[in-house]
Amino acid sequence: MNEGRLSRRALLAGAGGAALAGPVLARKLVDLGLPGGPSLRPLDPQFPGKGEMIVQRIRAPLLETPMAVFDEGLLTPNNRHFVRWHWEMPTRVDAAAHRVTVGGAVERPASLTLDEVVGAGERVEVVAVNQCAGNGRGLSDTRVTGAQWGNGAVACAKWTGVRLRDVLAKAGVAPGAKRVRFAGLDVPLTDGAPQFLKSIPLEIAMRDDVLVAWGMNDEPLPLLNGYPLRIVVPGWFSTYWVKMLSTIEVLTGEDDSFFMAKGYRVPTQPVTPASGEVTMVPITTMPPRAFITSHADGDSVARGRPLTLRGIAFGGDAGLARVDLVGAGADRPCTMGPDAGPYAFRRWEVTLPAVTGDLAGIGVRAANVKGAVQPERLAWNPGGYARNVIERITLRAS
Amino acid sequence: MKHAPLLAIIALALAGCGRGSEVTFADAAITLPEDSLDLPQAPGRDAVLANCTACHSPSMMLQQPKLARDKWAGIVTKMREVYKAPVDEAAVPEILDYLVAVQAQAEEPAAREGA
Repeated sequence: MNEGRLSRRALLAGAGGAALAGPVLARKLVDLGLPGGPSLRPLDPQFPGKGEMIVQRIRAPLLETPMAVFDEGLLTPNNRHFVRWHWEMPTRVDAAAHRVTVGGAVERPASLTLDEVVGAGERVEVVAVNQCAGNGRGLSDTRVTGAQWGNGAVACAKWTGVRLRDVLAKAGVAPGAKRVRFAGLDVPLTDGAPQFLKSIPLEIAMRDDVLVAWGMNDEPLPLLNGYPLRIVVPGWFSTYWVKMLSTIEVLTGEDDSFFMAKGYRVPTQPVTPASGEVTMVPITTMPPRAFITSHADGDSVARGRPLTLRGIAFGGDAGLARVDLVGAGADRPCTMGPDAGPYAFRRWEVTLPAVTGDLAGIGVRAANVKGAVQPERLAWNPGGYARNVIERITLRAS
Repeated sequence: MKHAPLLAIIALALAGCGRGSEVTFADAAITLPEDSLDLPQAPGRDAVLANCTACHSPSMMLQQPKLARDKWAGIVTKMREVYKAPVDEAAVPEILDYLVAVQAQAEEPAAREGA
């Protein structure tokens, strides 16, 4: 787990590999520790409204949150919240002209202004982790193609909005409805390419805490994170949290759109890189994860002195049950910080009475109240999705 | 640990807050940073610039793990057939030459770094 750590190597353009050919400019790089590389990523250019972010791609933007940000608090600041767009993102929103259409299997198709969406029901706040399905893909061993994220395609925010079911009620869900599909203002650059459409089962759409959200930590959503509205599905991967929401469509059958039927799919049983064709289904809920944020891989710690480690954890689609320090003979339970709800980051902390030597391969293991526990070994899959293997680092006693 | 931000949120894991109407939406616009199209020199670079980088930054290619030529061919096919990228079929061999060559190049500084 090297995220957020500036490489100890020479960090000037040209020293870091082919990606940086061209004029030699001083730039800060981060080493994400991706097996076999390329592993260095720039922290620039800076994006509007964003602080220092790991720039995976400028166009369409893929911006990763440095791991050190998660050491600062339970809510990720909006200017450090990760960013992921499939198609070129719209850079302008005309608020007065923006509409959210509600159609498909409904009693009376609706076209709602932003004020009408806000007025659709009771205002609701939920603290929830937003995590890309591919978070940590770049750490897959065997490697897989796609956005080569470290572990920072995740963030936790307080979301404010109205219930999706109240927005649906403006149109009236018709009998036979099975799924609810979302689209945003982002559209493909080329004719015939698949739009980014995502759908959830009707019973999920009707949940108490599934929102059409406009607030992120009491601020409007940043444009990069989906202004003016995005879907929030606590416990489910971010792929369903459609940004710049413009279309809600009620479906009476399965969703055969590309990003449901072909993309974002996971095997129904364990696979290896050598497995042939296997049954794949859409990814849905998140498993538990935990990270050490107080120290990075390779850090020095004082021999003979007590050592306090801290970090974050989350339960995925259920609250955390426990977090344990594991490895290097130091196994022990961690103390949990304040509980901001089942879908939020939760702080943990643990103190070793004395460092007696190097702490090789220590990690933290989260378990949720449904009994899901982080595994010792990566549940490898061809899309590099839903990584939740125990993340380990080595600390050097000195 | 910094506890201050927690105080405000502990009680509101899921809190209904009434039908307030003070939410206002302003027009919003941002200007995204320029993409400098940093592509290392290697044969086929012009084909990549002509066919690939109109849709996405070079980093999407340059950050991938090392891939065999046939894997790259599969990706280019996906770009053309699924994402309807206007990639000139005649340019594909040059694009593949470039991708393979650049990944081979990138291994040299990496090896030095590890030394």
